[in-house]
Amino acid sequence: MMRFARDFFARPTAAFGFAVFILILVIALAAPLIFARGPFTIVGMPLLAPGSPGLPAGSDVLGRDMAVGLAYGARISLLVGITSTLGALGIGVLLGAVAGYYGGVVDDLLMRITEFFQIIPTFVLLMVLVAFMQPSLASAVIGIALISWPQVARVVRGEFLSLREREFVQAARVLGLSDASIIFSQILPNAMSPIVVISSMMVGNAILTESALSFLGLGDPNLLSWGSMIGGSRSAMWVAWWTTVLPGLCIMVTVLSLNFIGDGLNDALNPRRRR
Amino acid sequence: MPLVQIRNLTVALPPGADRALAVEDVNLEICRNQIVCIVGESGSGKSLTGHAVMGLLPRGVSASGGSILFDGVDLLKEPPEAMRKRRGRDIAMIFQDPMAALNPVVAIGHQVTEQIRAHRAISETQALKQAADMLGQMGLKDVAQLLKAYPHQLSGGQRQRVMIAMALSLSPKLLIADEPTTALDVTTQAQILGLIKHMQAERDMSVLLITHDFGVVADMADAVAVMRHGRVVESGDTKTLLGRPAHVYTSDLIAAVPKGESRLVPLPAAEPVVKVEGLTKRFRRGGLFFRAPAITALDDVALTLCRGETLGIVGESGSGKSTLARCVIRLLDPDAGQVWLNGADIAHAKERELRPLRRRIQMVFQDPFSSLNPRQTVGDIITAGPRAHGEDAAEARARAADMLGLVGLLPECINRYPHEFSGGQRQRIGLARALMLKPDLLIADEPVSALDVTVQAQVLKLLDDVRRQMNLAMLFITHDMRVAAEICHRVMVMRHGRVVECGPTAEIFASPASDYTKALLAAIPGRRAL
Repeated sequence: MMRFARDFFARPTAAFGFAVFILILVIALAAPLIFARGPFTIVGMPLLAPGSPGLPAGSDVLGRDMAVGLAYGARISLLVGITSTLGALGIGVLLGAVAGYYGGVVDDLLMRITEFFQIIPTFVLLMVLVAFMQPSLASAVIGIALISWPQVARVVRGEFLSLREREFVQAARVLGLSDASIIFSQILPNAMSPIVVISSMMVGNAILTESALSFLGLGDPNLLSWGSMIGGSRSAMWVAWWTTVLPGLCIMVTVLSLNFIGDGLNDALNPRRRR
Repeated sequence: MPLVQIRNLTVALPPGADRALAVEDVNLEICRNQIVCIVGESGSGKSLTGHAVMGLLPRGVSASGGSILFDGVDLLKEPPEAMRKRRGRDIAMIFQDPMAALNPVVAIGHQVTEQIRAHRAISETQALKQAADMLGQMGLKDVAQLLKAYPHQLSGGQRQRVMIAMALSLSPKLLIADEPTTALDVTTQAQILGLIKHMQAERDMSVLLITHDFGVVADMADAVAVMRHGRVVESGDTKTLLGRPAHVYTSDLIAAVPKGESRLVPLPAAEPVVKVEGLTKRFRRGGLFFRAPAITALDDVALTLCRGETLGIVGESGSGKSTLARCVIRLLDPDAGQVWLNGADIAHAKERELRPLRRRIQMVFQDPFSSLNPRQTVGDIITAGPRAHGEDAAEARARAADMLGLVGLLPECINRYPHEFSGGQRQRIGLARALMLKPDLLIADEPVSALDVTVQAQVLKLLDDVRRQMNLAMLFITHDMRVAAEICHRVMVMRHGRVVECGPTAEIFASPASDYTKALLAAIPGRRAL
């Protein structure tokens, strides 16, 4: 574990990404402690520029404090991004691994199910799912997980298809290892690189998808996220750039830090790349 | 004056490589009308020397010193455009893997004519005629059909003939052949080497042949240079060098070449531990909507094997020898027949019944680079089997350290990862993994075919020692008759999924019953000279 941490932090980009992500996480978690009055309180005139007295990030179209909104928005955006990605990974890795490892009829069946999800326009499917479950945080998370697992399954299946032919997998079968332990302890660690890379992109995607849902009014109306901030401020985009640019920057920095973390994890998990 | 004079050639590797110079201070002469061999193990710099003459060094690698005089012109000082014109016209090259060297989506005819027309202003029809003529000279049949064919429709030998036809189509003065027969079967290898030799004599050209196989050297070369770690260790004319090698390394290399002489006497008859009867395997092709005729990979194969005995399964690619191994160990399910191991039928056991039986048969694989999980430490790799069969992890680890000692590795290796080891060491780890389960039958599927000849000799000796010590029955799969002779009590020759003949090694070598076996034995390179 110590060796792993040392390998991970030996990469400047990974250490930087990790630091930035932790900072965002701390701000998100501490938001109710720092800004007890909540993100919806109106504190002054609308569309005050950043740097106005008491408003480091300015105010939005309704005169709410942007800084407070960004801090609270981080809570929702991160929660949606991370939990829906974990959900999608859970489904996608399992189905992809099983399809790729067993092949044949199992593969045909699971891939037809996967394709069923892939041929429907995903965002339309998501809207139907969320509307069906009533718009709420939970329905957004479940909906996003349900539309994003097929690409994980595809990638994992592809990796498994090629890895299962490798001689070390045959050796594991010859040794009498069970299928579950071959899948999870022999093959999966070797398939981690693409999984880590797509999951860091999926977190970003999920944050953006949640924004789109909020924008369409299918987000949880009682919660503020970076996406709903952008959606709510679009009318002021040309007169008050900060109302859309700042939440957008937050999304970008978060996704970037996750990508750096993903790359670092990928390298640190690979014995060949260790220093 | 010799055609090519390589003087003090030095090729630098990019910083961070495992050594600074790939080729160091190499001197070599290729006379007109001569075949010169560079022989060496992997990493000796033999290929880079050939590529330097061709002016095709990989990116980041460059000739940093010396000269390569070709007809008196220094190729290292030639401008790129002049060098491009020389390639194909003056110097041509053929490679180890003709499949990779041919463009898979372009018909053969077009690939050959493209080469000719790049250098000569002639029409497509004329070029096609020339191409057909060249392919005919290479001993290829049905040339008209062949011109329209794509590379994947040809056999390995045919592809290499096409490559040679392309290389010779502009009558170069020098042909560089980089391990041209390493990927081919032994009988095909003999034919291709014969073709190269014939063409060389007929066209008065020089050949630089790069090889790892002293057998090939003995059959082909007029002069030899032995390379090691980027330097020429010894060079001279073939007879002298093979007969009286001056350098220890050369004599070690020659000594390591298996001689194709049987060393083991057959064991006295005993109760067999493994008995295979009527084993048959068909591969069905096609998918849901399309069914192609099945291919019979194994057809009614039978064998027996006693404790402490090694049976060699010899055959060319497609003979079914690997399928046999995989059916015996149940990586594949046979369609018919039985595999008896100590009275239990492996061939028909259900997966659940099979798992406890698995430890009785273990396998050493061919590819040292893919047979070990790159993400696990050596300790985890070799204790995985015992742990899966319920052995205590600490106990297994203690045994693993001993086992590493047995296969000739240091116990400290247990915490290291596979990429830190060489090919030969990895094969030792693979062997340790198999032996940890104390099997009755060890299947070795081409365990030394990816190794250098000196390492190959060490691993063969280790396998034989282990077989003796643990009283193992061993099924040794190989395409190389010489290797089989070295380690097997008995040999079984296979072709097209059937057993051609089976008997004590010495008998098969001395008086083969079938023409096929005779052809295999005759094709062994350097059999008379070494």
